[in-house]
Amino acid sequence: MPAKLPFRLMNWLWQMVPLLIFVVLWHLLSNSGLIDKAFLPEPREVFAALVDLLRGPQVVENLAITLFRSFTGLLLGAVAGVWIGLLMARSEVFRAYVTPIVGGTYSLPKSALIPLFILWFGIGSVTAICAVFLACLLPMIVNTYHGVNTTPKVLVWSAEAMGYSQRQMLTRIFLPHALPDIMTGLRIALGFSFVLAISSEMIASTNGIGKLIFMYGESGAYSYMFAAIACIVVAAFISDRIMLWLTHIWLIWHESAVSTETA
Amino acid sequence: MERTAPGAFGLHVRSVISVLVIVAAWEAAARLQLAPPLFLPPFSTVVLQLWDSTRDGTLPMDLAISLGRAFGGLFIATLIGVLAGIAMARNQLVNWLLDPFVALGFPSPKIAFLPVFIVWFGIYSLSKILLVAFACIFPIIIGTFSAARGINRSLIWSGYSMGASRLVMLSRIILPACCPRIFSAMRVALPVALITTFTAEMVAGGGGMGATLMYSQRFFESPVVFAYIVVMLAIGLLLDTAMVRIQRYIPATRT
Amino acid sequence: MTSKIEIQNVAKSYPTDSGSVLALAAANLSIKEGEFVSIVGPSGCGKSTLLYIVGGFLSADGDVLVDGRAITGPGTDRGIVFQEYALFPWLTVRQNIMFGLEQRSLSAQERKEITERLIGIIGLKGFEDRYPRELSGGMKQRVAIARTMACDPAILLLDEPFGALDSQTRELMQDELLRLWLDMRKTVLMVTHDVEEAVYLSNRICVMSARPGKIVEEFDIDLDRSIPREELMLSEPFNQLRNRVWLSVRQQAINAAEQHAG
Repeated sequence: MPAKLPFRLMNWLWQMVPLLIFVVLWHLLSNSGLIDKAFLPEPREVFAALVDLLRGPQVVENLAITLFRSFTGLLLGAVAGVWIGLLMARSEVFRAYVTPIVGGTYSLPKSALIPLFILWFGIGSVTAICAVFLACLLPMIVNTYHGVNTTPKVLVWSAEAMGYSQRQMLTRIFLPHALPDIMTGLRIALGFSFVLAISSEMIASTNGIGKLIFMYGESGAYSYMFAAIACIVVAAFISDRIMLWLTHIWLIWHESAVSTETA
Repeated sequence: MERTAPGAFGLHVRSVISVLVIVAAWEAAARLQLAPPLFLPPFSTVVLQLWDSTRDGTLPMDLAISLGRAFGGLFIATLIGVLAGIAMARNQLVNWLLDPFVALGFPSPKIAFLPVFIVWFGIYSLSKILLVAFACIFPIIIGTFSAARGINRSLIWSGYSMGASRLVMLSRIILPACCPRIFSAMRVALPVALITTFTAEMVAGGGGMGATLMYSQRFFESPVVFAYIVVMLAIGLLLDTAMVRIQRYIPATRT
Repeated sequence: MTSKIEIQNVAKSYPTDSGSVLALAAANLSIKEGEFVSIVGPSGCGKSTLLYIVGGFLSADGDVLVDGRAITGPGTDRGIVFQEYALFPWLTVRQNIMFGLEQRSLSAQERKEITERLIGIIGLKGFEDRYPRELSGGMKQRVAIARTMACDPAILLLDEPFGALDSQTRELMQDELLRLWLDMRKTVLMVTHDVEEAVYLSNRICVMSARPGKIVEEFDIDLDRSIPREELMLSEPFNQLRNRVWLSVRQQAINAAEQHAG
């Protein structure tokens, strides 16, 4: 509705004001002489670096590589995780044997496996995607399991009385019921995917935004370093918002969803 | 049809079997040279390496350094995070000021900031502790915020009507009421602290488990790589179990 | 005439920490085709359990025969309506009703027609594309009934279907159910705690004792249901029957309380 838009925009802008205050303080601090300007470049310099980066292929190419690694691992981890979580909830035998493995890997910092993957797969995308995949697996398994497990008996019984087989119910009853939990897990996994992709790039890689940030840091191009960090922060933020938006659309039927029109 | 649950004992037995199967398969695969020993050293070799590293002190020292950094950072994050979370929940101005940073910071990969911390604070413990604090503060702020927001209003009003000062309100009413959720947030933050510490050490060096792990990988010392990963796994498990135990014995931390 | 449903010596016990608990002692019941049988009794007596056993959702000792054959599990011949509606929240009204039709061998056109007809019967035209969370309790229950009807089961199992509704809505729904039953003459087995409802709707009432539940008394209800509700419920025959059933249930409830106290 045209009348609502300016209000929402105004609200959004007002919420951004503290960021502006931050930039002003930053500017004052870096010009005050308290800190060596080399360590804290002025906002102006960082902004110039940002513009320069965006004009060239550096950021776009490297960011694309990082995003590719993130999302590929996320997708694979999500599909596998949902499937495993579903099976764990529906098969006691499967659950009994898989639970200790799942429980055990929960405590393992997945980035610790990166050196192992480098040993096995060398530096590059395979290592990164493997690390992301494993990190995303767990929240997806746990959340899917919870979602499937909490399916009310009466829903299952209703479907059985309507002639649905156990197999059909997996995709027609259990998975839809678990969708809210799955989306929660997906949001967590999204966060992990960025962390693992960048960790992998910083530890050993020839490309990617993590590598770029690290390189700028090592070579002393600090404004470029800050600019590159800003890029990934924004990319992660936007991805998260898109995830929230998708959740809103796909869960429009859920009680917690805010309806935009009255029934 | 209705399902019957297997006994708890049955589940434990199956868990142990799973683990044993994996270990046995590992040992067999390694001995049979299904993969080069570089890629997959036998389980027994890894265990021996574990013993060696413990005996000559490298492992305990690395562990102490890493855990010190992780807990140091977690401590700082909790201290600042809890205060910030409560302040945001109780004061509109603070909420307005901090909200965009929390909203931007929460989904962002904090590890991307590692080079900044290295530039500012060096490659040894300080930079890592501060990075850990930076990474852990967000879940703690958010957890504390939602806990503080959700405090039963009648508790607050009772406090006011009994003439409680700001400090008493904070320490005797607000904090205890938030305790369970703060503890939950800390349980989430603990693995974050460990991951961040290990990753930072792997990238930048400067001592600790991660540094030795990378060093071993570069020199193709696979038994050390595997041994250290096993230790990290064990530490993670132990710490989480400890937190669960704490929840059981200290009612204040239970929801 | 052979019975539609034959419940023979059905008993059910649950394992608990302190040994097993007998929920249902040997229950015996014969239901003829087209009958509307209600089971009433004090809370916790196991009447819902018996219904779930007939539905095939719970295992039990004893036999349940439908059309002379023992049941082996849930089936499309026994439709069930729960108190909590049990609508699939991620499906619209139309999709929920279609869900029941999918397992029947019908063409897509036939499915569409049946769905539209049922939506009309339950009076929800215009709400086809709403989600359950947008509906009131009464509307949800109507969708649940329509969905069950869509499968065209020979037997209807109702588990306190109107228990979650307010009294006005409940009365309206009872009238609708009665109308449907008079129209289609399906065999109905209903569990309810509302004695008046049982007398109003059924032609036979079984009173169950406190746990472990056993059918202790049966009442044949022979009322003229063609007269309007207002007349019927104020009439002498209705009240007499209602009082007798109510007393019977009350006696069981008192027995239950004494059991616990003693």
